[in-house]
Amino acid sequence: MATEENTASNGGLERVVGDLRALSEDMRSCAVLSADGELHASSHAPGVDRERAAAMLAALRDLAERAARENGKSHVSQVRVKTEEGHLLLVRLDSGGALAATTGPDARVGLVLYDMRNARGEVDKALGEGKQP
Amino acid sequence: MKKILGRLVLVGALAGGAVAVGNYLRKSAPSGEEVVQISFDDNTTQPLSASSVEGQEFTDIARKLVALGV
Repeated sequence: MATEENTASNGGLERVVGDLRALSEDMRSCAVLSADGELHASSHAPGVDRERAAAMLAALRDLAERAARENGKSHVSQVRVKTEEGHLLLVRLDSGGALAATTGPDARVGLVLYDMRNARGEVDKALGEGKQP
Repeated sequence: MKKILGRLVLVGALAGGAVAVGNYLRKSAPSGEEVVQISFDDNTTQPLSASSVEGQEFTDIARKLVALGV
């Protein structure tokens, strides 16, 4: 229910994510995870898959932050994971959230990550606006 | 002539068998390829291979997310 409300109040965020997907044609899906682990924009309709994706993204972000702590670093800036079916990319937002995307196996991953890093500011701004009462 | 042909067939069969065994072993061996790349805020990078426990943790979740979409 909270997820549905977030979707409705985050029109700005949906637009930013939509623009990013339009710009980065190798991107298959894209989502924004807030610092508290809530999915604020994603390719999924509200429902089970969306909640599952949010839980898995939060788990991946926590794994990455654990790796940062173990290496004596403050934060992770980005994560790229290669699988047989494609890539999973995660870029940390200044707010503590994350911008995530998936691509196909032959995608120009460097270019997608570049677009994601460039969109961070706008995503953070839209995420902040969506949280304002 | 028959003897030469027979030997050629035998050599061919042996070579084919060697290639097949090589491919089988390559596929079944754990991959040491770096599949995870974590970049930190100080611009350093930590690569993880698919054969490491940490690397497997990342790839297990990533595989599901790539299939499901985010």
